[in-house]
Amino acid sequence: MELDYGFMIETFYKIWDGIGVTLGLTALSLLIALPISFYMAVIRLRGHKLGTGITRFYISFVRGTPLVLQILLMYSLLPSFLNFALKSMGSSFNIFESVNPFWYAVIVFSLNTIALLAEVFRSALMSIDKGQMEAGVSIGLSEWQTYRQIIIPQALVVALPAVSNITVNLIKGTSLAFLMTVKDVLAIGKIAASYGYNYIEAYLDVFVVYIIVCTIVQLVYRIAEKRIGAFRAV
Amino acid sequence: MDTRVFNPSVIFSVMPDLLSYLSVTLLVAVSSIVLGSLLGMGLTWAKLGRLRVLRWLAHGYTYIMKCTPPIVLLFIVFYGLPKLIESMTDYDINDTNRALFAIITFTLLFGAYISEVFRAAYQAVPKGQYEAGVSIGMTPFQTFYQVMLPQAALIALPNFGNSTINLLKEGALAYTIGLIDLIGKGNLIIAQNFGAYSIEIYLACMIIYWIMTLIIEKGFALLEGVLDKGVHMGHARAGGGEP
Repeated sequence: MELDYGFMIETFYKIWDGIGVTLGLTALSLLIALPISFYMAVIRLRGHKLGTGITRFYISFVRGTPLVLQILLMYSLLPSFLNFALKSMGSSFNIFESVNPFWYAVIVFSLNTIALLAEVFRSALMSIDKGQMEAGVSIGLSEWQTYRQIIIPQALVVALPAVSNITVNLIKGTSLAFLMTVKDVLAIGKIAASYGYNYIEAYLDVFVVYIIVCTIVQLVYRIAEKRIGAFRAV
Repeated sequence: MDTRVFNPSVIFSVMPDLLSYLSVTLLVAVSSIVLGSLLGMGLTWAKLGRLRVLRWLAHGYTYIMKCTPPIVLLFIVFYGLPKLIESMTDYDINDTNRALFAIITFTLLFGAYISEVFRAAYQAVPKGQYEAGVSIGMTPFQTFYQVMLPQAALIALPNFGNSTINLLKEGALAYTIGLIDLIGKGNLIIAQNFGAYSIEIYLACMIIYWIMTLIIEKGFALLEGVLDKGVHMGHARAGGGEP
């Protein structure tokens, strides 16, 4: 099999232009999902009936359906829904022309990540002894202070390996953003390939880029795990 | 652009049409799980074996597969495999069924994921079990087959169920190479309606997938209950509430 190596090297550099979109999408989705999923986990642990029911339904639905379908659904639902909402408010803002599809992707991946993280946080919080909260409150800390200074650091140690996995999966998942015409790593490779039908070369490039990125991210998490290991509950 | 009203009845009226293509989706998923499990067993054997080269190869393969987005691998197989085979032999497999490419891709992925599950499960069985088996005169193979494997299988079961569900969901990508499966058919129906009803049809597909995952989850939970008949060491039953 002969590959066009010149094209491969040239495209390899070109593809890195998309890394900002891929990583930006990942980081934004994680940042948005963090507080919401944490709140969901707390709702479920407190045993609030309606809240638990809703979050369980949501988590089960997101985890039970393919990401690609969530993307297809939201990409056909969101623009017309937003347009309808704005029109009924009397705004003349044109959703279809002035919203970058990147933001739709952020919404889809955030919604997905919320469900995955909520499960992780719940099991991490469950692993912390109840006495920790009681002890914190009994020495005069507020509930929020106890969470922030005592519970969360310990829970984070437990949760971090799973969060690392979710991050890697999210990076992989963002490769589907090309379905929403977002110009990420895969999309740039695809476009470069379509000029001369060099698909296999371009996809091999993309493959290598993802392995490099994924390795770096995992290394960063490994270092973080070492550093916050001091909070490990004994 | 005009906004069309959402019509929930379409969700149910397209279901029969979609469900008739469920067999394609299931064929891809089941074949990949069966073949992938075989590949996973081979990888596990290599990882636990004595040959350093094989160990490295198996671990390296798993690592690479874990870092590869399924869609990228699917495209590489779909575009690369026909080229590769054409250059080595004279066969042209461009016109073969697209399901074949999907099955190859998901087998490669599932093998890597599941080899980690198998390895962890095998290593979770105490080594003394193996030594005990051999010391009472069983051959290593007998010990593996009759003592280690049943216990490891039970430990692996929940994670195997999870991986199965993940594979089923990743299998949804097969439509991107033009396979007419559940989603492929959904897209065809949308195209026939000139882009209308896309929300309803995607929702219908999601409901079908959701029901499938719930069934698989329940099935594996039931299976675990049936198989856990004291083959496990005592400590694992501590949460069960039985004496």
